[in-house]
Amino acid sequence: MPKEERIKYFFLLPAVVLILSFLIFPLVYSLYLSITDWQIGKAPEITGFSNYLKAITDKRVHNALSFTLLFMIFTISIETPFALGVAILSQSRFLGNTIFRIIFTAPFFTSPIALSYLSITIFYEEGGPLNNILKLLFNIKVPWISNPNYAFLSLCLIDIWQWTPFLYIIFLAGLESLPREPYEAATIDGASGFQAFRYVTIPLLMPVIITGVLLKMIESLKVFDIIYALTGGGPGIATESYTMYIYKTGFRFFRLGYAAALSYILLIMLMILFTFLAFRLRRVYYE
Amino acid sequence: MRRGVAKKIFTYVFVILAAIWAIFPFYWTLTTSFKSKADVFKPVFVPFIQFEPTLENWINEVKLRGDVILLGLRNSIIASLTSAMLCVILGGMAGYALARFRFEKWKNRDIITWFFSLRFLPPIAVAIPFFLIFMNLGLIDNVISLILAYTVFFMPFSTLILRDIFKGIPIELEESALVDGCSRIGIFRRITLPLAAPGLVAAFIICFAFAWNEFLFALILTYRNATTIPVVIAGAEHSQGVDFWYICTRSIIAITPPVVLATIVQRWLVAGLTLGAVRGTR
Repeated sequence: MPKEERIKYFFLLPAVVLILSFLIFPLVYSLYLSITDWQIGKAPEITGFSNYLKAITDKRVHNALSFTLLFMIFTISIETPFALGVAILSQSRFLGNTIFRIIFTAPFFTSPIALSYLSITIFYEEGGPLNNILKLLFNIKVPWISNPNYAFLSLCLIDIWQWTPFLYIIFLAGLESLPREPYEAATIDGASGFQAFRYVTIPLLMPVIITGVLLKMIESLKVFDIIYALTGGGPGIATESYTMYIYKTGFRFFRLGYAAALSYILLIMLMILFTFLAFRLRRVYYE
Repeated sequence: MRRGVAKKIFTYVFVILAAIWAIFPFYWTLTTSFKSKADVFKPVFVPFIQFEPTLENWINEVKLRGDVILLGLRNSIIASLTSAMLCVILGGMAGYALARFRFEKWKNRDIITWFFSLRFLPPIAVAIPFFLIFMNLGLIDNVISLILAYTVFFMPFSTLILRDIFKGIPIELEESALVDGCSRIGIFRRITLPLAAPGLVAAFIICFAFAWNEFLFALILTYRNATTIPVVIAGAEHSQGVDFWYICTRSIIAITPPVVLATIVQRWLVAGLTLGAVRGTR
């Protein structure tokens, strides 16, 4: 092998070997687990596809999937316009522009667990700050955590607080890289600010918006931390996300085989989303 | 002219509201950590005017639970620093290979897509085999298992972002050094790395923040000696309800390092979060 050839493998292989042995091997091992009835303290037996068949009729799987999808749709449909609005406004020149960017991106780097425990204090029903204000203003007491619908809303609020900055960063970058000429043409043609936004900005920004939304969809499918900390999936199983259910199956009920099968179903869903994303990003990556 | 002023006012109002929305939880946490137990449940927000701040919570926290917090901090720092370092070193090498060399059998784009797909791997999918594998290796409740898990899990990310950064460095510099008789590794060390330094720091910080905030692996792989700060926070529930003040002191400890570090990497965030899919102005 010529020297140049050897050197490129010297650079690439350490990372690849590490990933193969500590990421790909566990995944393959998990595929094997998923066709067994492995429980802790019991010898495993290969049962074929029965775990997968069981998942299809499992009511808690249906519940977890519909919660996760609803959560995904609800949060993204608020985060996207919010992030877009903030991005467009903060793109214009104003005092403290840089500081605002730093402030508005900070939530994204907040530990989700710390954030959720903080939220317990903020959403606390008996005399928490939020209910105190609501009581002062409207004389109402909101069951933020003990009522299924409000628990859903609380989780959404946390997610919106944490993830709007993520989309904001992406949209802002997209806006800044837009060409100037279409705007000049639109101004000459007498377009109003709103018309320019609707017919120039939005279409030009569409690829970036779709990319951001796809990235966020993938993240939403994995939602776990805030649910573990704020509601534990409750009340009942009302806010049990799919990842939360896999966690409980594996580490509370110790049915590791079934949990592995459930996580493979999650992998398949993510793969579908990923295909869309990879298709969109082909241009960027394959130059 | 009047419309311009109206627009300006609208911008300021909206931006200020958005800033308050983003900053309120931080402010609430910080002030609550200095409230006496009686003030916690009152709707008071301004220290010195509405309530008298006290150091009592912080003193109690250090006295009663200082050991657990210090242990958590130590583990968090060891696991995050080591894994971020490994991610930048090994991921940086792989990223350099993908930016500068041509691979034939599996083409560069295939390897990149492979890394890219791994970036979106859900942690729960590997959590179950991780648990069994590390149990067999005797590494449960050992920081080494966390370091390994974080390193491989964030490696695809660091590889891709560092490839993007190396691609942004003009190749001509390396080529002229090659003509002058430098070795490939010499060029990498003496020319490419210094030029890529800010990007390397950014990648390191983002990996560090990811690892610092990670919860699921830490929850599954540790229980007493190797617990990280998020697990310490999650384990702090008490029988007599929620202790607001301790949640707040602990949360500040957990939140501060990544949030402060993130302010340094502002201009790299876009490339970092979209892995180069959206180009910002650098």
